[in-house]
Amino acid sequence: MTLEMTALIAGSLLLALGALGVLLVNEAMRLVIALGGFLLGVALLFVYFAAPFLAVAQVFVYVGGVLVLFLFALMVLRRGSGDITLLATRHDVGAAVTATAVFGLLVIALVPESGGLWPVPPDVAGSVAADLLGPRIVPFELAGLLLLVALVAVLVIVNGGDAE
Amino acid sequence: MIVVVLASAVFSVGLYVVLVRRDLVAILAGVELMLGAANVLLVALASVAGSFTALVESAGALVIVLAAAEAAVGLALVIAAVRRSGRSRTDEFTEVSG
Repeated sequence: MTLEMTALIAGSLLLALGALGVLLVNEAMRLVIALGGFLLGVALLFVYFAAPFLAVAQVFVYVGGVLVLFLFALMVLRRGSGDITLLATRHDVGAAVTATAVFGLLVIALVPESGGLWPVPPDVAGSVAADLLGPRIVPFELAGLLLLVALVAVLVIVNGGDAE
Repeated sequence: MIVVVLASAVFSVGLYVVLVRRDLVAILAGVELMLGAANVLLVALASVAGSFTALVESAGALVIVLAAAEAAVGLALVIAAVRRSGRSRTDEFTEVSG
């Protein structure tokens, strides 16, 4: 079994199990762990699709950043691992029908365009750095500006809550 | 096709989580599921179509950045809401102002 196939199988399993975990668990810490598994699965699928830059960015930004943010949020909200009541779920038929309909629409729209049963990994993409710092310099800089604005917004939101 | 169907299913699971979960942190986790699945779909479909270029990888990176900003602001809003009201479930917020 090649490295790519291993990444595909492990990534698919982590993706599915992580998503089901986020849906089904009632404990906050387990939800974060399930989310981490899902995010690692996405990174492994990026490895399969020969997108190493995206895989590394996924691990650094999501697993190393966003997941830590979730843990901080749980810590600030003072939820221990034994807290099982605050994540109560009210399963709803209307929501299930809506989600199923969206799934059906996505499958109908995308599967005819998706080729064979197993996706074929592409050749290595061109230089991402040359693309980001060349023709895509404006959106790249705007993304940096957006992160700065988000950081300021976080400080304002949290400190504003303290002031009141 | 396997990955496309799987990512579509995960997107739908994320939507279902957003619709049925009452806890704000769990709802944000559902949004993260949807964003991750959308990014996988972007890369997978570009790969299948034979148009996987640096542009696609750049777009995927921008989606990751946007999702990180969304998570940071969203969690800050959750913390501020819980600090102000002591509540963290959507069905406990009954006021639209004040």
